[in-house]
Amino acid sequence: MMNSAFRNVHFTASRLINPKPFSSSILHFLPLCSGDVSHRRSNPLRHRNSVSPSSFSSFYIPMAGGDGQVSLSLEKQFENFRVQLEESAALREQIRAVVMEIESATRLIQANLVLVHQSRPIPEVIEKAKEKIVDLKKFYGRLAEILQKCPGQYYRYHGDWRSETQAVVSQLAFMHWLETGTLLVHTEAEEKLGLNSLEFGLETEDYLTGICFMSNDLPRYVVNRVTAGDYDCPRKVMNFLTDLHAAFRMLNLRNDFLRKKFDSMKYDLRRVEEVYYDVKIRGLISAGDQEIQGQS
Amino acid sequence: MLSCSSSAFQRVAFMLMAPKLKPQRLHQIAETGVEQLVKKARTMSTESSMKDAFSTYADYLNNFNEKRERVVKASRDITMNSKKVIFQVHRLSKDNKEEVLEKAGKDLEAVRDQHFAQLMRELQGTDFWKLRRAYSPGVQEYVEAATFYKFCLSGTLCTLDEINTTLVPLSDPSLEPLQINILDYILGLADLTGELMRMAIGRISDGEIEFAQRICQFVRQIHRELMLVVPKMDDSYDMKSKMEVMLQSVIKIENACFSVHVRGSEYIPLLGDDAPTSYLLGAAVVE
Repeated sequence: MMNSAFRNVHFTASRLINPKPFSSSILHFLPLCSGDVSHRRSNPLRHRNSVSPSSFSSFYIPMAGGDGQVSLSLEKQFENFRVQLEESAALREQIRAVVMEIESATRLIQANLVLVHQSRPIPEVIEKAKEKIVDLKKFYGRLAEILQKCPGQYYRYHGDWRSETQAVVSQLAFMHWLETGTLLVHTEAEEKLGLNSLEFGLETEDYLTGICFMSNDLPRYVVNRVTAGDYDCPRKVMNFLTDLHAAFRMLNLRNDFLRKKFDSMKYDLRRVEEVYYDVKIRGLISAGDQEIQGQS
Repeated sequence: MLSCSSSAFQRVAFMLMAPKLKPQRLHQIAETGVEQLVKKARTMSTESSMKDAFSTYADYLNNFNEKRERVVKASRDITMNSKKVIFQVHRLSKDNKEEVLEKAGKDLEAVRDQHFAQLMRELQGTDFWKLRRAYSPGVQEYVEAATFYKFCLSGTLCTLDEINTTLVPLSDPSLEPLQINILDYILGLADLTGELMRMAIGRISDGEIEFAQRICQFVRQIHRELMLVVPKMDDSYDMKSKMEVMLQSVIKIENACFSVHVRGSEYIPLLGDDAPTSYLLGAAVVE
């Protein structure tokens, strides 16, 4: 290919001394179907406007030039790309649709959970929330199905459900803590959502971020519980959060979003400690309770 | 054992302290107390159990972050050495084409054998997509170098399939070969056009007008093909700005060809780019 170009160099150089229209050699390179060759020669700037109209998919004119074979394989490749990328764009649309459903289920759960701040009995609140968890399980199942169409590409689309999942984890963990006073661990969270780490799992970092979000809600809960007369709550939350914070300190984090969220946990802990202190010095915690404090 | 009893204690304390609870509620709580103890044993409630769980998370994060660092290092190596290939190809002129391209080809092969192979070892399975941000710049640079080299060698575009075929022999037959994905390939192509623009301007200075024209045609073709593909890409935002730059490159080449065409023997190369300034091609001697 290049040899022909080099053969032409001498020929071209001699022409330079006596410029003639390059028409014959230019046509060799330019697309035969494109009608504005003359425009290009005289005014390259006009070419800018003439590029777009011919490229809409409905009347896309393939190029056939002197390098016939080459152009064709090049076009085929890009045609291929278009098809593949359209498929992945369509997949993304499907994913977005399901994620929006996850988001609205999450909002419904949240509307329920916030009732604990108003002293609604916990079992009742949790019952209602659990109904919505069933829906969530369904939606994640649907996501897993969609992703089976493109095996191995979980992480390509993972950003599309990352923040919603973190919110879900924080809700599940909060509910779990209300029920049991303990931390919902990663594997249990995965189970609750019907996920499994082999095909479509719960990303560890999403889990950890979700736990940090849960901790963000605890100070508010404690404050409202005390207002409602539950003076034992601050101690429990404080112990829990202290343990949680200590456990988190075992992690080596990068300076990313998770790290930021972890940093905010110490402020949550501080706030809970303050509430605990307020309650304690005013003698609101009764003697029986102080005995237990010694144990935990 | 101890943990069980202290949590039982807590349960009892809660029952005693809980305000406004009616007797039947207390009964309920007592009943569910057993279930909850069982649940606790299962869900690792104590401080030490929380620490156990978190030590597994710590291990996971440590391993993954270390892997990410290795991938970033491999990617940087690929970037650096691919850039060297690009600079090597730029040294091309009509006199030394063969030697320059031969060396470039060898250097490109070295990038594959040493650095790409390293990347391959790290990216098995889902890490391919999970760590994409870490290695994408390196891969893009490699695509740029490989396509630049191929164009100067044969005047054709090295397709994605062709590039991936050269990568297959690198990996252990038992491992998945590393295949460059569409997105990184297209991003690399966008950068290729910038290098071609530099080359075109440089070739014009050397008198190789036809080579420059071939480049012009080629770059136009790529720009045109990409126009339809770009909106559907995952990171179409990055790509959109690359498309604007690409168009500027096309226009620069076209303007250079225009200058050559119009000025003929008095041709002086264009200013404003970083091509080597070998001047005055065939300057007219005014008699």
